[in-house]
Amino acid sequence: MCGIAGFLINNSNYAIAGELIEAMSSTLSHRGPDGWGTYLSPEMAIGHRRLSIVDLAAGMQPMMTDRYVIGYNGEIFNYIELRRELEQKGVSFRTHCDTEVVLKAFELYGSDAFAGFNGQFAIIIWDRLEKKVVVARDRYGVRPLYVLDFKGSYYFASEMKAFDVIQGFQRTTDITNLFQHGLLWNTVDDATVYKNIRSVPGGTYEIYHPGRQPRKYRYYEIGESPSPPPVSFEEAKEQFSDVLLDAVKLRLRSDVPVAAYLSGGIDSSVISYLVAKSTKKRFKTFSVGFEDREFDETSYQDEMVNYLGTEHYSQQITYESVESNLLDAVYHTERPIFRTAPVPLFLLSKKVHNNDIKVVLTGEGADEILFGYDSFKELKLLDFWSKNISSTCRPQLIKKLYPHLQHYSDPRQFGMMKMYYEGFLSEYDNELTGLNIRIHNNKILANLFNKDFSIAFDKEALRENIRAILPDNFSSWSILQQNHFLEMKSLLSGYLLSSQGDRMSMAHSVEGRYPFLDHRVVEQMFHLPDSYKLKVFSQKYLLTETFKDVIPASIIHRPKRPYMAPDLKSFFRDGKLTDQAAHFFSDEIIDRYGIFDKKYVGRFLNKFTNKTVENIGYRDNMIATFVLSAQMAAYWAENPRKTTLSKQLKEVEIIDN
Amino acid sequence: MPQEIQDKLLTFITGSFMVERDDIDLDKSMIDEGIIDSFGLIEIATFMEKEFNMQVGEEQMVRSNFGSVNKIVDFIKRETGR
Repeated sequence: MCGIAGFLINNSNYAIAGELIEAMSSTLSHRGPDGWGTYLSPEMAIGHRRLSIVDLAAGMQPMMTDRYVIGYNGEIFNYIELRRELEQKGVSFRTHCDTEVVLKAFELYGSDAFAGFNGQFAIIIWDRLEKKVVVARDRYGVRPLYVLDFKGSYYFASEMKAFDVIQGFQRTTDITNLFQHGLLWNTVDDATVYKNIRSVPGGTYEIYHPGRQPRKYRYYEIGESPSPPPVSFEEAKEQFSDVLLDAVKLRLRSDVPVAAYLSGGIDSSVISYLVAKSTKKRFKTFSVGFEDREFDETSYQDEMVNYLGTEHYSQQITYESVESNLLDAVYHTERPIFRTAPVPLFLLSKKVHNNDIKVVLTGEGADEILFGYDSFKELKLLDFWSKNISSTCRPQLIKKLYPHLQHYSDPRQFGMMKMYYEGFLSEYDNELTGLNIRIHNNKILANLFNKDFSIAFDKEALRENIRAILPDNFSSWSILQQNHFLEMKSLLSGYLLSSQGDRMSMAHSVEGRYPFLDHRVVEQMFHLPDSYKLKVFSQKYLLTETFKDVIPASIIHRPKRPYMAPDLKSFFRDGKLTDQAAHFFSDEIIDRYGIFDKKYVGRFLNKFTNKTVENIGYRDNMIATFVLSAQMAAYWAENPRKTTLSKQLKEVEIIDN
Repeated sequence: MPQEIQDKLLTFITGSFMVERDDIDLDKSMIDEGIIDSFGLIEIATFMEKEFNMQVGEEQMVRSNFGSVNKIVDFIKRETGR
């Protein structure tokens, strides 16, 4: 796993190209502390930071052939099979690393190569003959890749902080996009919260010729595989078990030891079980535990540790540790977050790193592909209720939603909950499906922004943005499949895999691998009948039924709860904001960054000042975390960290005149 | 004293839900307008019970009582005889 950067050279950066590519690479040191290298020609610069995992001795980059130069961040897990295929076609290899397989596959197949990769990657390829850049990203956007359009040139990097070293450039918040980020917890498609910076969407590649408009192509879309013949539930269990085991085995390919995260939930328990089954060796597992019992899942984690006999490490999280690490975590997320849940994972990856582990397998993706989120239950309920609106029984199912939120199951509050959901009966089945409720709850954020920007909620414009990313056959899918697609495009790709995933683990040079996001698993799950995944209200039914005999019953049958950390509680002590939070929420700093309206922010905080912040609603926690982290992101955009490169770690310097 | 009820209610709403007095249409549903989420409804009901010394029963949790600020004011008025 690594960090990559690059840019097309023009008059604006020609004289300083060598220094600039080194400076950009230096900002990505945390992604690859083991070494660095650069490529420089009169037209193109590429920089690379290496975290060595496969072929430790020979995997240096950038790597060059007669025609191409590559800067590559990621893993192609099927590189052994691909290499064999290429060798049969007469291709020869110098190293044993997957980078060379990627490069040679591209050399032979061109951009058709991407669809043959089973992995997580971001790639910059310079074509020395045709003088063009090809950039590509894995199917679901596990590894990041950003593009900056500045002074007639294009710049590419794993993280946006690499752009901060470009002379005359400073990241500037795009308030309209920031509001969209607030509505969806992510910006739609290729947008970011900054002006002139795009994110290459997962499953696509782009071609840049100097002086021409870039061309963009999609090589993969969720649900694209043809529907397989129908299978019985028993057959589905067997197929799922086989493909998930194979996905785990592929992700254990590494020249360094691989560990696993254990959250205490079924997803990571299943992955750890499959790791144990595949390796037959004792391995390390890592968890977070919370001082606040409301969030702590240690008992479930311990149960799994005892069951598998792993060498286990737990990172204890307190209110203070969340508070004191948020600023550093936001340095890495580079955009606002909505819950503090990424912070414990930031601290956990530090623990992993300190225990000499570079690779961890985790359970991300199961909630999307197996209908684990309550948004799937909400949709099913609304669909059922809408067919008999006057029914008194059907809305009773509301009590079964969100078991971790007390007011849902409280029979005294049922009337309120019913009233709340009634409002969605007329629109739950438009193309936004499960996002309707998220957007509806978050549109109040419009009031928070600085009035100079005249931010207003425009549902039609947002629907238009979403429609633009939907595949042609979207309307032929069930409403739950549609929600699967949208959850993967919004929350998973732009938030869980980035702010909570890649950025938190790579902050401490740890690579996450996600067996549930093997595209064979995703496609197989996508085409199964909805009832295999959400049976009545039993979430991830196929997963629990497939593994119920090999995972402790208490974990299989435990109530589902999302992974969370204390939000507002971490920033209020005895009814007062902590010093750092008070600073970022102060009128002076709100004025300085100009994003928010200080009157609204002040009034929001008054709700909690001089009170015990015990019973706080979901939305208030979200608003507080959003505003605070947006202020911190603005701070980092204005005050980039100074970074340097160690000359001793330089592994590659290609001057291509 | 409907005015007093309305004033207290609006003070609570503007202090709790990030809206200005002018943002609130007294005849529109605060749920549909996105001013309150599901927990917000509970916060309002808790406030009403405490501030106006009343009980809100499940059968009363309907849009004819909670569908707008004016409807809530009328509901409080009816329940408390103010």
